[in-house]
Amino acid sequence: MAAAISIQGLTKKYVDVWQKQEVIAVNNLNLEVEEGEIFGFLGRNGAGKTTTIKMLLGLIFPTAGDATLLGKPMGDNSVKNELAYLPEETYFYDSMTGWDILDYYARLFKIPEPERSRRVQICLEKVRLQPDAWKRNIRGYSKGMRQRTGIAQALINDPKLLFLDEPTSGLDPIAHAELRDIVASLKDEGKTVFLSSHQLADVELICSRVAIIHRGKLLKQGTIKELVAGDFAELVVQRRGLSDATLGKIKEIAPGTEPGSAENMRISVAEVEKINAIIDIVRGGGGSIISVVPHKRTLEDVFVETVRKEDGS
Amino acid sequence: MQKAIKKLPASVQKRTAPMAALVVALLGAGAFLQAKIDPVARKIHQSEQSIDQVSGGLNNEFMLLPLLGFREAAAGLLWVRCDEFFHSGDYDAILPLVRVITLLDPHAENVFVTGAWHLSYNFTDSNERSDRRYIAPSQALLDEGIRNNPAIPDIKFEKGWQNFDKTKNYTEAESALKDCISGPFHNEKGVKGSDDFPFACPLKTLHLLAHTYEKQGRIPEALEEWRKARERTESVMKEDEKNNKPLNYSNKQMWFAEVHNYDEDLQRYHNRYTTVKHDSINPSNPPQPGVLWPTGPGVANQPWDVVFTPTIEVKRPKVLRISGRFNSADGARVDVRITDWNYPERPLVDIKNSFKVDMSQTILVDSMAVRKGAFDRELDMSKDPKMYSFSQPEYKIVLSYNPRTTSPHLTDRFGWSGEGITDGNKGHVYLDAREPLLGTALIAGQGATGPIWDGVTIPWAEHTQPVRMIAVTYRVSRAQMMGEKPITDADMVPTKL
Amino acid sequence: MVPLAIARQTVREALRRRVMWIFLICGVFLIALGPVFGFLSPKDSQTVLRSLGLAAILLAGLFITIVTCIYLIPVEIERRTIYTILSKPVQRFEFVLGKFLGGFAVVFINIAAMGVVFLMMIRFQEGKVPVDMFKGVYLTFFQMLLLAALTIFFSTFATPVLNFFMSFGIFIVGNLGSVTDSLTTSRNGTARLAGTIIHYLLPNFSNFNIQNTLIHPAQEITNPDVFIRQNILYALIYSAVLLILAVIIFDRREV
Repeated sequence: MAAAISIQGLTKKYVDVWQKQEVIAVNNLNLEVEEGEIFGFLGRNGAGKTTTIKMLLGLIFPTAGDATLLGKPMGDNSVKNELAYLPEETYFYDSMTGWDILDYYARLFKIPEPERSRRVQICLEKVRLQPDAWKRNIRGYSKGMRQRTGIAQALINDPKLLFLDEPTSGLDPIAHAELRDIVASLKDEGKTVFLSSHQLADVELICSRVAIIHRGKLLKQGTIKELVAGDFAELVVQRRGLSDATLGKIKEIAPGTEPGSAENMRISVAEVEKINAIIDIVRGGGGSIISVVPHKRTLEDVFVETVRKEDGS
Repeated sequence: MQKAIKKLPASVQKRTAPMAALVVALLGAGAFLQAKIDPVARKIHQSEQSIDQVSGGLNNEFMLLPLLGFREAAAGLLWVRCDEFFHSGDYDAILPLVRVITLLDPHAENVFVTGAWHLSYNFTDSNERSDRRYIAPSQALLDEGIRNNPAIPDIKFEKGWQNFDKTKNYTEAESALKDCISGPFHNEKGVKGSDDFPFACPLKTLHLLAHTYEKQGRIPEALEEWRKARERTESVMKEDEKNNKPLNYSNKQMWFAEVHNYDEDLQRYHNRYTTVKHDSINPSNPPQPGVLWPTGPGVANQPWDVVFTPTIEVKRPKVLRISGRFNSADGARVDVRITDWNYPERPLVDIKNSFKVDMSQTILVDSMAVRKGAFDRELDMSKDPKMYSFSQPEYKIVLSYNPRTTSPHLTDRFGWSGEGITDGNKGHVYLDAREPLLGTALIAGQGATGPIWDGVTIPWAEHTQPVRMIAVTYRVSRAQMMGEKPITDADMVPTKL
Repeated sequence: MVPLAIARQTVREALRRRVMWIFLICGVFLIALGPVFGFLSPKDSQTVLRSLGLAAILLAGLFITIVTCIYLIPVEIERRTIYTILSKPVQRFEFVLGKFLGGFAVVFINIAAMGVVFLMMIRFQEGKVPVDMFKGVYLTFFQMLLLAALTIFFSTFATPVLNFFMSFGIFIVGNLGSVTDSLTTSRNGTARLAGTIIHYLLPNFSNFNIQNTLIHPAQEITNPDVFIRQNILYALIYSAVLLILAVIIFDRREV
């Protein structure tokens, strides 16, 4: 698969005019986003997520580094036909109707009528904005409706690559879930989505790969599976009555196991087969299992762990 | 404050230089165009004085509007304000406004005309005598208006009118009116849409010029002017007729007036220059009431002695009673002019910032009617201390009779230059050679040999006759004006105008 | 195409701003006030009606132009809609041009509206509409075009408040054409240099103030059509200069 986004050494620095100090917003960022995936770009507020997106879109200019979008250099005007961007907290022209706003954006892509009206309708339907709101002034829209309009705006040119900046933040749970599903559905259409978010649960649910950025530095990237790797189960076994031979077998499977206290011992293993094997050994040895507790690592665990580790170091 | 460190995209970097070059080229073109625009723009706002000169006296709020291109609107609004002051009689408030308006809008011809009229006519003492101190600024304002608007006849006409009517300076009046008639105009036909179209200047200019010539005794020229005016009126009437317009009766009236005045001038020409010997009495004229006409052979061919015997009595401080005999027909007027001894004949005025006059100056101009060979007039200057401050040590009182400015029937009798008048006291006869009398040509077929002066016929072609005036001048002190000391014949000094 | 779409949107937005309507209504009101001065002599009331009407159009046009154009670009940045626009295939120069054309159209609509009222007033008062008055209206329009370009130029880097003062300041300086013109021949070297730079390099707004010749029928410009064409050309050239400079700056602007 080709890279939809390829970032090499992207850096953005500012100079504090008064203190003559350099502020690094994005620090030597290297990143690859595959075509057709939903890529989660994680970071705290001010981590450099939006700065990165703006550089990729040519809204601001990098201090150093390069990137290509869909094979073309970033900021290239021709590639913008295939791009879409939904900025965070956009206040659309609130004296216009949802329909008119989409019509305006469609004009910027030089889409002629009647294709333009058709596109507008398709997009409004796709984001499930109630048709009775289409010709209403956007001033009367709820936050969810505005955000739907924002996504519809991003879809107007049927883009290949979408940059969505916190599309679900601040929404009620239902709208949140719906919008998340809409974003997820984009993948089915073969679109690539670069999703900047700190809604980790969403990201975990819909993204295939993520990157964690902190203070402008890329800390980790990989598939969700890779990042949350390290799931394990803890077995608590009655020690009494287990022979040393049995204990030896257990240690073979779970080498880190300690004999533990006189009563019980805890065994940690990650793979299901190993759990089953240990259970078989214990029961075959006449022992008994007190409990099997699965321990599942979440993206949040990974994120917090990663960020804290970085801050601590 | 943070400043981004950035590496611009190649496309931006590439197009900067050509765009900058284009900017430079366009700026050059703009400057070139500006140089083309400037001369015309200069003409539009042509004014010998700039509004900045009076800015010192104006507050900043007021200055802002004119600066932003609202000069004419500001001028218009101020003129509206002026109009209110005219109605409320707040005459002093008008002057600064007129000054500002004419600086804001140097082409507001109405303001020049009205302002000058206001200066010349509206400042008076309690006896409706004009404050002559305002004549000089009035004339200066008209001159400025004419310099700013050489193509506008109205201001020139006003200058002519004021010199004709107010100051009786017919030489000045003549040149202003001639200037008015000759242009320069935008084209020979004047301003389209104006009342006078297709003529550049109003018809009244020609009329007034004719009257000016009459006052100067230049009857042939006056006749010529009446003829031109009549032809102009006839052409207007013909044009109306050609266009099937109903008769405009005012044109007809004008025509009648022009014909009548032409005729009257011709009659005066005969009276003054052909049939009458001015230094002798026309026995066909009956004696005027109260005037003792000489009879008998010994007195013929002598100029008429008016026996001018004035006395000035100071009744109260600044209140003068002037009386005496002036042996002429009724209708003659003896002019009175009371000024500071050093009152300038042509006061230099600076109207750059205001029309203020020197309040320490005193000038009174009036005249006294002669009835039954006598005159008697009380001049009360005590009620108007602002006009008659009498703050100088010495004063000049001139009592005079000018044969040119007097009633026509007296001019008929005594001659245009006073050829038929004299005074037994030779000190009272004053030959005024200030205004050159231009030579007048004989009118072909009308006869005449030329006026007779002291028994000598003046060759017509060289008629450059000084005016024979009857005048006395007193040099008096402030104490005399205040009545602390009488004014007597001993205060008389030789007249010098 | 794209600039026209942006211009269209800009006009729709701008026409919804209340402050513009307030100035427009004030302008129309001032124009309508003209005949009130009918108590003056016919000549004077004509002068007042004409000068007041042209001044009202200029004054209202001035404020409408500034308050409209000052916000056109900053408001897009503030609302972040500029991100959605510039991330689409819209070049920055197209955006600036679109905004300018939009502002220009708003100014045109306003001046045209006031111009129509004014010319109707003249028709009512004088019985006919002199061509001169029409010239007065459209020269004011071109003056405002230049001001719109100036304001948009400043708005690419200055805040609206700063922009207001800068645009207004340059408008005032540019209206002192006769002063700067006389400075170009000043004997003082510094004054001459400053005057020359200001007179030829800064937009010269006083070029368009020909109200005097329009108000006084007796005042005539030799070759008025050439003069007016030169002025229009000047407005177009200088607006182009300001727009190119605006693009050069906006190309570098981080939004």
